[in-house]
Amino acid sequence: MTQVLRNPVKQAVREEGTRPGPIYRPDADILERAEEYVVLVDLPGADEQSVQVRFEKDVLTIEANPAVAPDPAWTPRHVEYRPGGYAREFRIADGIDVDAIRASLRNGVLELHLPKTSRRRPRTIQVAAA
Amino acid sequence: MAQLDLLRPWGQDSWGGFGALRREMDELFDRFGTFSPALARTAFPALNLYESEDAYVLTAEIPGVAPEDLEISLEGSTVTLRGERKVASEEGASVHRSERPAGAFRRAIDLPVPIDGEKVEATHRHGVLTLRLPKAPEHRPRQISVKAG
Repeated sequence: MTQVLRNPVKQAVREEGTRPGPIYRPDADILERAEEYVVLVDLPGADEQSVQVRFEKDVLTIEANPAVAPDPAWTPRHVEYRPGGYAREFRIADGIDVDAIRASLRNGVLELHLPKTSRRRPRTIQVAAA
Repeated sequence: MAQLDLLRPWGQDSWGGFGALRREMDELFDRFGTFSPALARTAFPALNLYESEDAYVLTAEIPGVAPEDLEISLEGSTVTLRGERKVASEEGASVHRSERPAGAFRRAIDLPVPIDGEKVEATHRHGVLTLRLPKAPEHRPRQISVKAG
């Protein structure tokens, strides 16, 4: 598992994963609705077990380490991508109801719903007649 | 502003225009979506082709494309993938980031030898398509046994 280690002298370093291969920054879409954020992240090859999502101090961290090595009996003839892991972080400043975050994975796309805390939702204030 | 580059629209009809799928390697310390010049752009979907003794294996990363929205055709030794990725936008929502390529795509791959079309197998798992394309029988390696004279 890839982990961020805190080192008091150097910057944060990332431990080598147990699986070889590159770590990619996956493409993402972020939508904001009145009551929630929706984050979509392309993680081709990743299954539910290989994806980790954390939300801490306004930072959303997404990591995946899928086991997708090609069959060693196959000889590569044309290579446009190398299977690997994924890592990305986003800062989401609005208050998020952390306990209500939902995550699902479908066809290699991670879909996150991050509900805003009620105080962050837009409110309409009724004006009463005096 | 580098982020604007991410919004570059996808081409619609020629696969030569699908340059928006980007992968960044070794961006271990990238935070909060800062842009890196180390971008490698490829056509969508990214493909790998492998060869075994009796078959070619084509793999493609097609996250977000449901199996029913993907069309695979084989003509002689040419495999064509067609499909469409829907844009993640909606009325009433504001878009903070739009990096995932969307739109119609088409890629055609010419294989070096004819394929036995009856025996092609396709699997689609976690956004990765794997096509096993057996070589036509006359193009498979043959064992020639040598008889003792």
